[in-house]
Amino acid sequence: MSEDLKCLSCDAATCSLLEKAKKEKIETVWDRAEAMQPQCGFGEMGLCCTNCGMGPCRIVKVSEDGPKKGICGADEDTIAARNLARAVAAGSAAHSDHGRDIAHALYYAAKNPESGYKVKDSQKLISLAREWGIETENLDEKEIAAKVAELALQEFGKPFGHLRFTERAPKDRLDIWNKMNVTPRAIDRDIVEVLHSTHIGCDADYRNIMMKATRAALCDGWGGSMIGTELSDILFGIPQPHEIEANLGVLKEDEVNIVIHGHEPTLSEAILVAVNDPELIELAQKQGAKGINLVGMCCTGNEIAMRHNVPMAGNFFQQELAIVTGAVDAMVVDVQCIMPALSQVAKCYHTKLITTSPKAIIPGAIHMQFDEARAVESAKRIVQEAVLNFKNRTGNIFIPEIKSKGFVGFSNESIISALDGVTNSFAHPQGTVKPLVDAIKSGVLRGAVAIVGCNNHKVPQDKGHVELAKELIKNDVLVVTTGCGAYACIKEGLMTKEAANLCGKGLSTVCELVKIPPVLHMGSCVDISRILLLLSEVAKYMNVDIKDLPVAGAAPEWMSEKALAIGTYVVASGVYTMLGVAPQITGSENLTRFLTEDVENIYGGKFHIESDPKKAAQKILEHIEAKRKALGI
Amino acid sequence: MTLFDIIFTGSEQALEACKALVEQTIKEYGEDEKVVFPNTAYSLPVIYAATGQKIGTLADLKGALGVIESLIVKEQNLEKALNAGLATAVAAEVIEACKYVGGKNPYEEPCVGFIPDTVIRSLGVPLVTGDIPGVAVVIGEAPSAEVAAKIIKDYQSKGILVTLVGKIIDQAVEAKVKMGLDFRVVPLGYDVTSVIHIVSFAIRAALIFGNVKPGDLPELLKYTKERVPAFVNALGPLSELVVSAGAGAIALGFPVLTDQDVQEVPMNLIVQKDYDKLVQTSLEARGIKIKITEIPIPVGFAPAFEGERVRKDD
Ligand code: SF4
Ligand code: SF4
Repeated sequence: MSEDLKCLSCDAATCSLLEKAKKEKIETVWDRAEAMQPQCGFGEMGLCCTNCGMGPCRIVKVSEDGPKKGICGADEDTIAARNLARAVAAGSAAHSDHGRDIAHALYYAAKNPESGYKVKDSQKLISLAREWGIETENLDEKEIAAKVAELALQEFGKPFGHLRFTERAPKDRLDIWNKMNVTPRAIDRDIVEVLHSTHIGCDADYRNIMMKATRAALCDGWGGSMIGTELSDILFGIPQPHEIEANLGVLKEDEVNIVIHGHEPTLSEAILVAVNDPELIELAQKQGAKGINLVGMCCTGNEIAMRHNVPMAGNFFQQELAIVTGAVDAMVVDVQCIMPALSQVAKCYHTKLITTSPKAIIPGAIHMQFDEARAVESAKRIVQEAVLNFKNRTGNIFIPEIKSKGFVGFSNESIISALDGVTNSFAHPQGTVKPLVDAIKSGVLRGAVAIVGCNNHKVPQDKGHVELAKELIKNDVLVVTTGCGAYACIKEGLMTKEAANLCGKGLSTVCELVKIPPVLHMGSCVDISRILLLLSEVAKYMNVDIKDLPVAGAAPEWMSEKALAIGTYVVASGVYTMLGVAPQITGSENLTRFLTEDVENIYGGKFHIESDPKKAAQKILEHIEAKRKALGI
Repeated sequence: MTLFDIIFTGSEQALEACKALVEQTIKEYGEDEKVVFPNTAYSLPVIYAATGQKIGTLADLKGALGVIESLIVKEQNLEKALNAGLATAVAAEVIEACKYVGGKNPYEEPCVGFIPDTVIRSLGVPLVTGDIPGVAVVIGEAPSAEVAAKIIKDYQSKGILVTLVGKIIDQAVEAKVKMGLDFRVVPLGYDVTSVIHIVSFAIRAALIFGNVKPGDLPELLKYTKERVPAFVNALGPLSELVVSAGAGAIALGFPVLTDQDVQEVPMNLIVQKDYDKLVQTSLEARGIKIKITEIPIPVGFAPAFEGERVRKDD
């Protein structure tokens, strides 16, 4: 492995496939990033506006005489804030549309037997129905599911009131939101309002623009994402801890390899059913394969890894490289974080890139529309396409023999039941977060940090996630993770029991007693809503607000607008949030100061930007100790 | 004060007391005076097991103060807190050793003080076979003599070895609890530091039965945690010193249960205010399951626990 590849990525499988890609002249994300250098400074600072036909406009900061205002008169603060707000709205839209699809799937489960969807966790369904005031006594499960799905769908466009899930937040949090007028009302509405306000000649006050962006972001965390997670659990089951394999070494030379990539479990769950269909397995064998090997990528990979025994093949920056192995017979994708470059890479191999969603069509890919009303049937057609492609493999196959194991499946429900294991049945209640609170209050655990987000060429792949996680666990800070950060951590072996050896005495003791790894995989990006709920539970138990807890969030390698939406709702939920890559706001000192300092006085959380994971860890640890001190613990 | 700060404070107090006492003893007897516990081949067992170092004279003992000092590092994390707890244990041993200097026998009936090796050898086997299913270390003062007697007798009826430290000894006497090794109720002493005599019992068990090498502290702690089924009941108001001694117990793998308001630590420091449940809570905390059949009980409490089980008994 050459040294220069090493600084592109910390992952050995990635590095060895990058060499193969180089040899075969396959262009990857890193090549395109290099070709892009130097990236445009105006865009980088958030000072380029194309919001109307009079533009594009740009604000020149480097010299005295360049324009300081857009043609309409918008200044740097307005332009940077509008750009950021639109990004946040887009991120919120992506998660929320995902949530909407899940709600539709629940509706199908209730109304349309042909869809193949069924309610798997009726207990969770019933308790959500009760939470939402649905009279469940005389209804059967399907009727309840239909009602819950309808109410969930109404969250997107209801004319009055606010989002139901906000009631789950601690009271102090709700008070802050109400005071700031950011309590989310209806998901689509609040996203639309950002787009309206950022139109030319509308809102020019960067604080007011950020207020709306915040409300749209809260629509994501406490709305779209939370709906997505809760209803996914109802449909597909609440994740429980189990061991799985990760990294590109999970591809199998002698089986039909199907990589499922994207986000929505509605597709991946149906594909999982299809790959287990005896007829299709037989068909695979007829093609000369031993069987069908389904592996996951990005968040849809997280979804099925959390709930089933599907290996996690790789994260965002490994998507092209999966195809470069030459062993992927089909890459089936739905929406979000799917590089359009994939179709070019797939053309160089036998791999079929199959798009399935009308929301995400890629030129050059095969489009096989996934019909949720007949989910399993359409999944079978897709799998068949993959199976039939096995015979087209060329000899050019290289699967790096690199994979690791780890425990995944830490939903809040499974965390609480693990915590029950350290209660004393004569002294303690069961089913509460008390043991976690006691571990934190006593100082055995110093705090907890969520490491989430993507990969980004601006930092070496996985390094931000892994190094930050290691620094934190060494200092007795429990780490929870989702998204592509979870891939980084499991690949590094941080989700094993042995990882307790990398922890301080306090955390390793907790791991041993509770029987958990020091880094807990809590799921996909929408599952960050689980973290919000866990924080709320802990805060309520301690009788404080989320902002008082010794916790932090981090997105060391973020890249997507979804990550910006997540960061925004996390900050607005009261959490100190570390970004490893600077957002495109630095051209406005006011906006930058607002987000990295002033918001703390409003929400109790703020952004901090630090790309060095060791320094980031230091800042986070200081923050945690300061919060402990304020709590007197 | 944070829980860890309470522990650090208690350890520092123990260290200060230790320093003063050693100095005073040296003044009285001279540096070359011998330091020995009666009837043991393990010198000062806690220090010997932890450091591999045998203490011969008061001068050596003075040198050992450095061990205590080095164990007290006031950083807010569990590792340092447990070390500080061990510092308190070592300090307690030093203080107790000073009491024996000059060939004195500082303990008198009903207290036993230092437990000789022969007792460990004779109790070690039933401890390993589970005939003595556990060792309860009851420190402090119960709300009344009746409650004290009820708790002690409950343990006793289960075949558990009960050691007593502090006012609870008087309460046991008042309630006419039969005491002595035969009854498996052993009053150690009135000072908190006398608790070290049961700790040194556990530690010598590790050296004798576990073949732990003196100086191999991690192995020692592993043995006591896995093989010595002891636990602590700290009753009545808790001083910083008691809390830091409790941290020492936790470092050895012995959970501490108390009737006082303290910050709980899952599985290790547990509050149980209901005295009727204290025994069961303790047994569950230490993972002790009582063999229902044939427990050799010298007193007539056997039927009292028929059919009683630890609830979490997987
Ligand atoms: S909205 Fe204003 S700043 Fe933006 S492009 Fe139009 S004129 Fe330029
Ligand atoms: S973590 Fe980022 S890159 Fe990965 S799936 Fe989520 S949004 Fe996409």
